[in-house]
Amino acid sequence: MPRAVLTGRQRIGRDAAPYAAFVPAVTVVAASLLAAMPIISTSGWYPDFGYLVLISWRLLRADPWPAWWAAPLGLVNDLFTGYPVGFSIALWSATMLALDLVDRRTMWRDYWIEWILAAVLLAIDEWLQWRLAAVDNAGVPFLMMAPPLVISICVFPLSAWIVSRIDAWRLGR
Amino acid sequence: MATARPGWSRRAQYGLFFSFLAVIAGIVVGLVLLGLSLVAPKTFQTVRGAALDVTGPVADALHEVTATTEGVFTGAGNYWDAARQNSELKRERKIMLQRMVEAKAIVLENRQLKATLQLREHERSTIAIGRIVGSSFNSPRRFAILSVGASDGVRIGMPVRSPDGLVGRIIDAGALASRVLLVSDRANIVPARLLRGGIPVIAQGRGDGTLDVRPLEVGRNPFKRGDIIITSGTGGLYPPLVPIARIVKLDDDGAVALPLADPANTSFAIVEPQFEPAAVAAESAPSPESP
Repeated sequence: MPRAVLTGRQRIGRDAAPYAAFVPAVTVVAASLLAAMPIISTSGWYPDFGYLVLISWRLLRADPWPAWWAAPLGLVNDLFTGYPVGFSIALWSATMLALDLVDRRTMWRDYWIEWILAAVLLAIDEWLQWRLAAVDNAGVPFLMMAPPLVISICVFPLSAWIVSRIDAWRLGR
Repeated sequence: MATARPGWSRRAQYGLFFSFLAVIAGIVVGLVLLGLSLVAPKTFQTVRGAALDVTGPVADALHEVTATTEGVFTGAGNYWDAARQNSELKRERKIMLQRMVEAKAIVLENRQLKATLQLREHERSTIAIGRIVGSSFNSPRRFAILSVGASDGVRIGMPVRSPDGLVGRIIDAGALASRVLLVSDRANIVPARLLRGGIPVIAQGRGDGTLDVRPLEVGRNPFKRGDIIITSGTGGLYPPLVPIARIVKLDDDGAVALPLADPANTSFAIVEPQFEPAAVAAESAPSPESP
């Protein structure tokens, strides 16, 4: 008896959702919109939700969206989070490019490598924000960026898990 | 762009190449826009204002929910240990009554003195009253979202205060919501003075919800724990005599202070006109005699 019979769920004949191609991009926009949450943070220790979901998708799949979509998605993130316009556009496009280069180099991938990659990308994100604040006359000691960085690295597995569930749902698996 | 080797298909090879070009174009466009928004921050005023109009009302609606939940919990907490709180409040009230009588006498005296000096009194007017409904989560910058915008008369550069103290100033204004640069942001420098003694100081945000306070004149550290910092009105942007922060920690040449208006607990924020717009304009314009 095949094991699928025991699960009790109808797994055969379910197809990908008709809007499946747009689901990843929509979740990234939704994550950017979390900036509208009525949370008033005086320390800024929350993760950069839009970027977190973007790299979760990109590390899960090579083709969640056409690569150039990163630019408009970044623009949406800039507008809703209040970053200087252009910051996320450049960073997110560069991330897509960098991860394509990484895909060519790596012989194998496992969860630890993905987590390390995500940690490096998040660190670059925080570092760039810190540099940009300094250019804008708001330079702070870099140590202040450590708590949000550690928190977002710790939150990445959760984000990756949620994204993988959404991916399974949109493809009807 | 998905796979490293597209195979022999010329169409697939071109597709790969053009998507590569598109990403490069994305990076270039992003960098150009970033440069523009750093060099000329006014370029994106309209589009940023429009984005605020989308998120502001949403945050405003959700704010009701969180405020109610928090209210229930703090309300329940107040019943705990009520008897001791009651006696403490009674004692405080007695002291406050004495202080109030003293203050009334001082106000009277002050009015007489001002009349003799014929000091020009500034009419303090209110542009709009709103609520703080959101904030920046993740960046070294400290912004808050205010539930009033250009349709209420709010303009970029106006100071924002609450009944407790100074909150910050407007940096983006949409039609329905606006963005406030909080006093705890590193780029917000407020000319101030010590309430005790009136020594002129400079308050600058530290990016983590606290302020750095430095005396203008180098010398002995004039601060004490518990000192209140108020605005001095210098520069013409912020009105004078608005409380800003309380000193919580001393360091070698200044002190760390906690803002009196905690954005997370501020019920109302008041937008006021610039104190002396002429002075602000003169300061931001390049002076003709400088080379």
